[in-house]
Amino acid sequence: MTPSDQRAIEAILGRPYRTLRLEWNAELAMLRVRTGVRPIQCYTLAAMTELQFCFDDVASYPGVVRHLVMSSDVPSVFNFGGDLALFVLLARAGDVDSLRMYGRKCIDLIWWMETADSRGVHTVAMLQGDALGGGLEAALSFHKIIAERNVQAGFPEVLFNLFPGMGAWNFTIRKSGFAVANDMVLSGRLYSAEELLQRGLVDMVVDTGEGEAAMLQLVRGVDPRHRGTLAALKARRIAARIDYADLERIVDDWAHSAVQLTDRDLRLMERLARAQVRKVGGADDGAIEEIKRIELEAAWQAAGSRIGPSSPTTQSLN
Amino acid sequence: MSSPFGDLVLRTDEARRQFDSQPVLLDAVANGMSVERYRAFLLELYHVVWHFNPITAAAACRIPDSLREVRYFLYEHMHEEMGHELWVLNDLEAVGVPRAVAEAHRPGPYTLGMTGYNYWTVEHRHPAAVLGMLYTLEVVASVYGGPFSSAMRESLLLDGDNGISFISSHTTMDSEHIADLREIVNKINDPVAMEAMVEAAELNFHHFGRLFATLP
Repeated sequence: MTPSDQRAIEAILGRPYRTLRLEWNAELAMLRVRTGVRPIQCYTLAAMTELQFCFDDVASYPGVVRHLVMSSDVPSVFNFGGDLALFVLLARAGDVDSLRMYGRKCIDLIWWMETADSRGVHTVAMLQGDALGGGLEAALSFHKIIAERNVQAGFPEVLFNLFPGMGAWNFTIRKSGFAVANDMVLSGRLYSAEELLQRGLVDMVVDTGEGEAAMLQLVRGVDPRHRGTLAALKARRIAARIDYADLERIVDDWAHSAVQLTDRDLRLMERLARAQVRKVGGADDGAIEEIKRIELEAAWQAAGSRIGPSSPTTQSLN
Repeated sequence: MSSPFGDLVLRTDEARRQFDSQPVLLDAVANGMSVERYRAFLLELYHVVWHFNPITAAAACRIPDSLREVRYFLYEHMHEEMGHELWVLNDLEAVGVPRAVAEAHRPGPYTLGMTGYNYWTVEHRHPAAVLGMLYTLEVVASVYGGPFSSAMRESLLLDGDNGISFISSHTTMDSEHIADLREIVNKINDPVAMEAMVEAAELNFHHFGRLFATLP
């Protein structure tokens, strides 16, 4: 490593962060970024600002970081996505502009990952815990995704009448096709790591606790072919183009949808936030279990409305 | 964020996050709290609510004519909040605290610090600081009040809104208020007023959080 590379690494690692823990692997020129937002592992404004600083620092020293690997410091959670308390606040305030600003901060981070090949950086997301909504959207923007077997992931936003607006459609369609994207976004269902692999959304599923070893093996495999891999990924980007302007348009629609959420929708969002907190407090059930309960309730309600008072089924039951 | 309200949200977001990271609050929102702790909370809340309108009045009488709409907004707000300290007294009675005991309660240091600061800032810093106080209290009520009142109802097996009437009703009421607050904050284009609002919101989040954290 040259003295200037050494200075660059010191600059990248030297910034004081509250929600990130950085680590440098000199052998592979690999920057490990571990996120840890307490008490709920989600994309707060401060956490996104710190991520942007970190990525901008990497971009300031081209050629120094060859691999960037992101994982979570919070056990069992990769990321729960958006800051639900902030969403509730801004939706209740009817503040489209601030929601749009939040969404744009998200897509700026995603766009950095999407264009990482042009900065000479190969990216890996390592999911050792659940990824919901924006947490999964963020992961999908990495070149490779490794998921441990216990992981569950999905886009639950439709359950509270919203949709994932920061790249879910674009990246899911690119990786798995329109039918899978349709199913995932419109059902709000959660998927196991194995189901994600079958749909091509993750690249590798490993036993729980084996993610770290698998990641090192993957990076070691790519490293000798780093230049060619990045060139191929750049070509992939051209072949299956994702456009920043499209991401912006979707964020705008998302912000307008968010301010139209009803009190019932916001209450469901609050239920989910409360469940996230319960898990932090050490309870067995958390956001994943709450989403399943909300799904079940929605299914019952749908069944109930189908068996309405005037329906033939009800009449025959009577 | 380009709008003044957006700036207020952005610049005080860390203070809000610090507030909602308090372990006592996290536990209360998820699981409710013991009746003893809930009584202690309501006793502090009574004083916060009692001082709300006097602080707002102190601000309103100092608002310059250039911010006349803010003054009219405060008048309406005071009218809506009038008598709400009695709701807290009713809730206290519902959970076993007689009115005389509640009225004689000496508030804790964070309640005193918060109310004292709010009087000071509207008198000596900028009267628009009251909007920072309002922002904090409405965020607390509209974002955290719903889950908290549900958790309290479940944990203390309360009947309907009995014992949680103030928090439960303000969850809905302040949801509407926060949209009104956004409109009025967006009319303020004065950096000094903005600084005062931000400081007031940060201090109120901090002290309200500490109020929770230090409940016996």
